[in-house]
Amino acid sequence: MKKYLAIILALVMVFALAACGGGGGSGDVTKDNIKIGVVHIGPLADQGYTYNHHIGAEKMISNLGLRSDQYIPKFDAGVDPAKVTNSINELIQEGCHIIFATSFSHQNQMIEAARENPNVVFAHATGTNAIDAGLDNYHNYFAKIHEARYLGGIAAGLRTETNVLGYVAAHPFAEVISGFTAFYLGALSVNPDVTMEVIYIDSWGDPPLEQQVATRLIELGADVIAQHSDSATPAIAAQERGAWHVGYNNDMRSAAPDASMLSPRIDWSIYMTLAVDNLLNGKKTPVDWGEGLASGAAFITELNTSIVAPGTADAIEAAKAKIISGELKIFSGHLVDNDGNNAKITGYGDPAPLIYEFTGPDSHFAESAGPSAPSFNAIIKGINIIS
Amino acid sequence: MEGFAVVDFFFMAVIAATPLLFATLGEILTQKSGSLNLGVEGMMFMGAAAGVAASYIYEATVGDATLGFVSAILAVLIGFLAGALGGLIYSVLTVTFRANQNVTGLALTIFGIGAGNLVGELLGIRAGGFTTVAEDTKRMFSSISIPWLSDIPVIGRLFFSYNFMVYLAIITAIVLMWIFNKTRVGLNLRGVGESPATADAVGINVTRYKYIAAIVGGGICGLGGVFISMADNSGTWIFNCIAGRGWIAVALVIFAAWRPSRAIIGALLFGGLSVLRLYLPIDGIPAQVYNILPFVATILVLIFTSIRQSKEHSQPKSCGINYFREER
Repeated sequence: MKKYLAIILALVMVFALAACGGGGGSGDVTKDNIKIGVVHIGPLADQGYTYNHHIGAEKMISNLGLRSDQYIPKFDAGVDPAKVTNSINELIQEGCHIIFATSFSHQNQMIEAARENPNVVFAHATGTNAIDAGLDNYHNYFAKIHEARYLGGIAAGLRTETNVLGYVAAHPFAEVISGFTAFYLGALSVNPDVTMEVIYIDSWGDPPLEQQVATRLIELGADVIAQHSDSATPAIAAQERGAWHVGYNNDMRSAAPDASMLSPRIDWSIYMTLAVDNLLNGKKTPVDWGEGLASGAAFITELNTSIVAPGTADAIEAAKAKIISGELKIFSGHLVDNDGNNAKITGYGDPAPLIYEFTGPDSHFAESAGPSAPSFNAIIKGINIIS
Repeated sequence: MEGFAVVDFFFMAVIAATPLLFATLGEILTQKSGSLNLGVEGMMFMGAAAGVAASYIYEATVGDATLGFVSAILAVLIGFLAGALGGLIYSVLTVTFRANQNVTGLALTIFGIGAGNLVGELLGIRAGGFTTVAEDTKRMFSSISIPWLSDIPVIGRLFFSYNFMVYLAIITAIVLMWIFNKTRVGLNLRGVGESPATADAVGINVTRYKYIAAIVGGGICGLGGVFISMADNSGTWIFNCIAGRGWIAVALVIFAAWRPSRAIIGALLFGGLSVLRLYLPIDGIPAQVYNILPFVATILVLIFTSIRQSKEHSQPKSCGINYFREER
């Protein structure tokens, strides 16, 4: 009996110690002691999403004049819940005061950790549930990338000769649909005859499949390929077949010098700097944060001036100024679906709740104004989903 | 959308099938010697990265004197050698040190993916962006054009307009078929795979056969990687470019019943099914259903072959088991 008691006591002490060790972030947070953790979905070498988020974090460190060892990245956390939870817990153990997570699929683990660790701030990119969670230490953030995609669409609309665009799309989610619709509306704003073919790859990235899909879109008559997928293989397919291309996440000109016109991109450092700075100064960070072209959180990479259509740079500049001033609203007007009915934005659930309906020429939907994650998920006229 | 574009579909199916065919042939050769090497994915990554690296470094070294032909040969050769290195590592561990074959193969996969992406990343840092090869080299890996043959309508596009590696894959299959069925070496190799003890007793050098089969087999798997990085991706390093194709090849070996001739058909079928959705989308059938079709086919083949109990067309008997002469 004594033996068991001893074991139980020992266990209690171990757990007590662990409890003391955890929940870092107590005491004053200063520039000197702050630690910032980031749970990255992929490895640094991915040439895309994770790399982009990593340089955002590095820029935040230099913006705030912190030391590089104060940024603790956990790469390749993936989407497996146990692994994500481990990564978050490790960051808490290391005494991080604020933890960022980069993937939508980290949502449940992040909110769980936020409930258990009220002293640590949790900021989750692309997530949707902070607005309803009511936690002081849990925020969502995203960039209004659709604004940058709209500008990419302008380049595509001016460039196309067949008036058919092709889009390599990841998943049939609002995040993707909002992006390709903004791209299409950008093209439509300069070219009323343009239509767009879309094929989903059903993953965030599968390089050979992305390439095959892009090739197929070109066979179907598309001469500008755009993408919401991780790799540069759509750019390479466009290059091989003499088409043009609008990328994502990375400047793809070096992979496809005669095809890649520009890439919409996110500068994550804007939000990361704000969130960390607010924590240092004891200020509140908005529950949902989403900014776009105005602050540079969404931007386009340098134009490939040797291949874009004449006048592209001016058209993009003009549209950019109007988007920033609020004069140009992207999801506006009487948008209809392919059957001619009013386009409807719906939420999750069964039956899906109606979020917004485009009823007339004055309709407009302010994307990412409420929840920072995109919600536009209507398929509008002119866009043909192939598969 | 217009009707089913048969010619375009077939062309794309062949391009999708070729890396699978290389990897399947490499794995068939390896398994014929009684070694179950699950490291196909890793060896493909090693081949893919080494191919790009070879071309890139050669071009950076000789500068303007670059010959596309030499650069392409180097990519294929070094890619083959990188895959062969994977096969050598596997052989040393399983044949000499008698490590568990499954574990070694899985470890080789993890190692190969890491090594391939590391080499690709280092090249990317050196190139300051995406690593890509010279135009002349890219042209070597683009579709060939044979005078008048390639110009025949339909037939020309269907048979005479692929890049040279597609034909190399088919030649490899034919050569393997000939070796397995018509030569002494092939007979010995099959003997080693079926019963190493018997082969040993009749004086066949089991160790040598196992080493050579795994090394050459690994090299052929590496060529599958070279196809993806050099032909599909035009000599540009793309992170994670193999993306699971090696695992499909492992399933294909079973589908092909360890026969190179059937590997050609199987690879074409798997390649075709993987792009079928793009050419023949049916409303209401989700992408996931298309994606599982090759594996449903594999399971059906497994069921049928086990019902038929064909000894000739099943896995070599000693596959997965290391040979200890002392335990005979």
